[in-house]
Amino acid sequence: MADVESEQRRAELLEATGLQFGLEPRVASDGSVWVSVGEQKLGDLLAFLKHEGLGHCSAISVTDWPEDGAFELTYHLWSYEDRIVVTVKSRIDRGEATVDSAISLWGPSAGIHERELHELFGVTFKGNPDLAPLFLESWDGPPPFRKDFDWRAYVRDAFYEEGDRRERSYWD
Amino acid sequence: MSEATGTEMMAKGSRVTDGFDLYFGPVHPGSGNFGVKLTVEGERIVAARSDPGYLHRGFEKLMEYRTPIQNAVLSDRLCILESLNWNLVHAEAVDRLCGTEVPERAQCIRVIMAEFSRIQSHIIWYGVLSKGLGFDTGFKVAFGYRDYVLDLFEFVTGGRVYPAGYICPGGVRRDFPEGTRRRIEDLLVTMEKMTRGFEAYDSNTIAARCRGIGVLALDDALRLGATGPVLRACGLAADVRRDAPYEIYGELDFEVPVREEGDAFARSIIRKREIEESIKIIRQALARLPAETLPPVKPKVAGKIPEGEVYVRNEIARGEAAVYMRSTGEAEPYRCKIRGPDLLHMIPVLEHLLVGAEVADVPAIYWSLNICPADMDR
Repeated sequence: MADVESEQRRAELLEATGLQFGLEPRVASDGSVWVSVGEQKLGDLLAFLKHEGLGHCSAISVTDWPEDGAFELTYHLWSYEDRIVVTVKSRIDRGEATVDSAISLWGPSAGIHERELHELFGVTFKGNPDLAPLFLESWDGPPPFRKDFDWRAYVRDAFYEEGDRRERSYWD
Repeated sequence: MSEATGTEMMAKGSRVTDGFDLYFGPVHPGSGNFGVKLTVEGERIVAARSDPGYLHRGFEKLMEYRTPIQNAVLSDRLCILESLNWNLVHAEAVDRLCGTEVPERAQCIRVIMAEFSRIQSHIIWYGVLSKGLGFDTGFKVAFGYRDYVLDLFEFVTGGRVYPAGYICPGGVRRDFPEGTRRRIEDLLVTMEKMTRGFEAYDSNTIAARCRGIGVLALDDALRLGATGPVLRACGLAADVRRDAPYEIYGELDFEVPVREEGDAFARSIIRKREIEESIKIIRQALARLPAETLPPVKPKVAGKIPEGEVYVRNEIARGEAAVYMRSTGEAEPYRCKIRGPDLLHMIPVLEHLLVGAEVADVPAIYWSLNICPADMDR
């Protein structure tokens, strides 16, 4: 990302984000912008960035931090005009795990990521009309991508026989 | 929605086809492990609902328990049809976290192999699209040509379909064996012959079945999250290789093919043009390939990934692929989010294009998106 225009545009964006939201965005060595924001300002910041031209919601992700009692949401955004990638990070309460949907900003491209995260992490996105299960069939256990879900124990109990000679090693 | 399922209606001997549920996949030659439920009224589709999950293996979770060199092998399986491209996305994420300087020769080899992977992925797409349209010759010709590329993969990596993490953190697992340059040059000539052959088919079967079918408007494409050839067929020349270059792409000269029509035929033309561009890229990378040989990469068994986070985007054959990797300083990544193009193409885009279409046009729409259930389900 060496071209001058996108560097200029990035500098403008950094300044505007700092002024409007009192945040301190960080520029990584690969040119990507990283900004952390509190849950209250998350919606406003995302709307601001969308308005600033970050029209492509590349991905939404969740990182589980059980010791901190938090889920960290990451929104990876890309601007086709300015060629800038921005990642917005925001921590939400792990017990409550509810956040406003970004579907009003990026449409179904954000909605589908939210649907996946709802299934795998149990985060609820308010305003997303379709949070139906996506990958898992007849699953009534805890959201499996959470750090405290012991998938090894689950696989062993669900699929292996303790009495089977070849499968015994899984039980040691 | 329907009051009775299709099976129940057939059991009753009903001739009424309004509100009939028609399943396209998951048991269908070429559909892959993926299905879409269509609600039809006569010949017209009134609702479509994608049914993913048949290939869900939980890669993101598996990677949290494995070291990068193990994950490099795992990353093959992210998409069966273009494993080397996925190798590259994963390897770049680890390289950036570790601050590894990849030798120029390794970068050239990575680009050459990734571009060949793109070519053979586009050939598979040509084959299954032909098969879906009932044009069996196209399928056989395409898969015949694909084997030449797989021969090269076997020669260089040892694996025809799965290269066992050939492009790995730090570079590549081994240097090109002796005689590879000659093989690549010969293969490029074969590929050029192939593209001329494909031209001949365009004017008949593919054009007749795809022109004006499954038209995607540019604003819809952006709203639905389309990337890669699907987006470029709608008139936006966006390509990560050019817009945010990685490896040596910034120094190479290639075009980004773009069409305005947004229909299934435009998507097919784009892919064929991309094969030609990939041939150009490989020629340039081969010319730049430094002479010195590359020491083999030794996996760092006890190596730890420095604390940090990266979001790496690549352009693979199907569109935008990305990895968000977060490390807490352990040997395994704390979180590895994988963003594949097909979650977007196979759910929002496909559902959007199918509603209002006719049943006979489903194969043309379905395969023009070049689907891969593996990278959608992960």
